Amino acid sequence: MSTARQLLRVRVTAKDAETLRSLLREARPDVGGRPRQGEDGTFSIEAYASPEEAEALEREGVVVTTIEDATATGRARQAEVGEGDRFAPDDAVPRGLALKVKDA
Amino acid sequence: MSYLNTTEVESAVTSLATAFPSACDLIDLPEPSVEGRAGHALRIGTAPAGTHDCVVLIGGVHAREWGSCEILVHLAADLLEAGTEGAGLAYGGKTYTAAQVRNVLDNLDVVVFPLVNPDGRHYSQTVDPMWRKNRNPANSGGDPSRIGVDINRNYDFLFDFATAFDPTAGVQVSDDPGDIQVYQGPSPFSEPETRNVRWLLDAFPRTRWFVDVHSYSEDMLFVWGDDENQSLDPAKNFRNTAFDGKRGVAGDLAYAEFIPKDDADDSTVLAEQFCKGLHGVRGRAYSPMSAFHLYPTSGTSDDYAYSRHIADPHKGKILGFTIEWGKSFHPPWSEMKRIVLDVDSGLVQFCLTALA
Ligand SMILES: [Zn+2]
Repeated sequence: MSTARQLLRVRVTAKDAETLRSLLREARPDVGGRPRQGEDGTFSIEAYASPEEAEALEREGVVVTTIEDATATGRARQAEVGEGDRFAPDDAVPRGLALKVKDA
Repeated sequence: MSYLNTTEVESAVTSLATAFPSACDLIDLPEPSVEGRAGHALRIGTAPAGTHDCVVLIGGVHAREWGSCEILVHLAADLLEAGTEGAGLAYGGKTYTAAQVRNVLDNLDVVVFPLVNPDGRHYSQTVDPMWRKNRNPANSGGDPSRIGVDINRNYDFLFDFATAFDPTAGVQVSDDPGDIQVYQGPSPFSEPETRNVRWLLDAFPRTRWFVDVHSYSEDMLFVWGDDENQSLDPAKNFRNTAFDGKRGVAGDLAYAEFIPKDDADDSTVLAEQFCKGLHGVRGRAYSPMSAFHLYPTSGTSDDYAYSRHIADPHKGKILGFTIEWGKSFHPPWSEMKRIVLDVDSGLVQFCLTALA
């Protein structure tokens, strides 16, 4: 785990659709998820950016708030990835997560 | 349990094929990845392949969206185990009867390709968790920061985005290999991963539904992604060069992509039923909608799948969908398990709706 970029997960909230659209067009941030419209008419989207890039997203009509350290979260999740091969033994077959139920 | 590593996704698929020989076939995808990893899919169904209409489900396209592979591996395992034991399936509060499961197995071909981009998944799980593209260095000029192509911009749909779209549309794609997220590649289908998906659609000519599993935003998307939908003016379509430079602007009258009303209605019903089956598990409310929202995309799998029969009348019509599960790329596994139940229930309902 050597060369991961240091990234923040931020929420970018713009005062209207056109402001968000032009920010995405000009700054081209790495976005996660899809744009959401707030009840107050604002439009927002999540983005992944270095601390410097996140600061550079701020402008007239745009608020950037940090949600979490995406790199740290990603590293924690990498520790939740299986090791080896759980399905290597001949009798090891994946079981789906649903309950298998007999009809009443 | 925990997230599956790249080796385990493949061995899960092959061990399911070995364990349930009467209800599925193992499919070897023709092209290895750039780093030499082989891809496998399952054709689930008790009738000989090609007897029935086919739904193709793919996942693991974007490297960092790990749970897509688990969603499809577990769905295959659920259908095969319940179907061969004469059981139904209970996903939280949503239950499918043994007869419904049997109906899917006996009357549909369900093709499941859980890991389209194995090199990317391996890199995301072991080096950079935020990695999205494949790991092809061909266009990098030796610069490690310019490695990789976004597979979900590499399909042949409005690939020449600079010509097709309005310059102010902000189309979410790039022709610069230095773009860390949405580099489209040098040409349509330049990547082995993309060609494998095309091969599947060609190999199963009775494919009528295609679902690409991604994250995140809790949405079930249907075509189109290049502009808003309309069913009134067939001339406004992706093949008509008269509308070059006009596509992709939100809320304008200059252009919206044509989809016949029947196809729009069928796509909407399937997306709604997916969301309904998902909601029954624990109450998560996913939104069914067309893919265009605020900005356009080009070269995506769902638009390509649906556009095939328009570009080539010899090909069958495929309704294309993209699931965007969850609210983050890497939920803790404890939460990811709940999302797997949500989405798999939605997919069973989707298959039942397709059959109806
Ligand atoms: Zn994705």
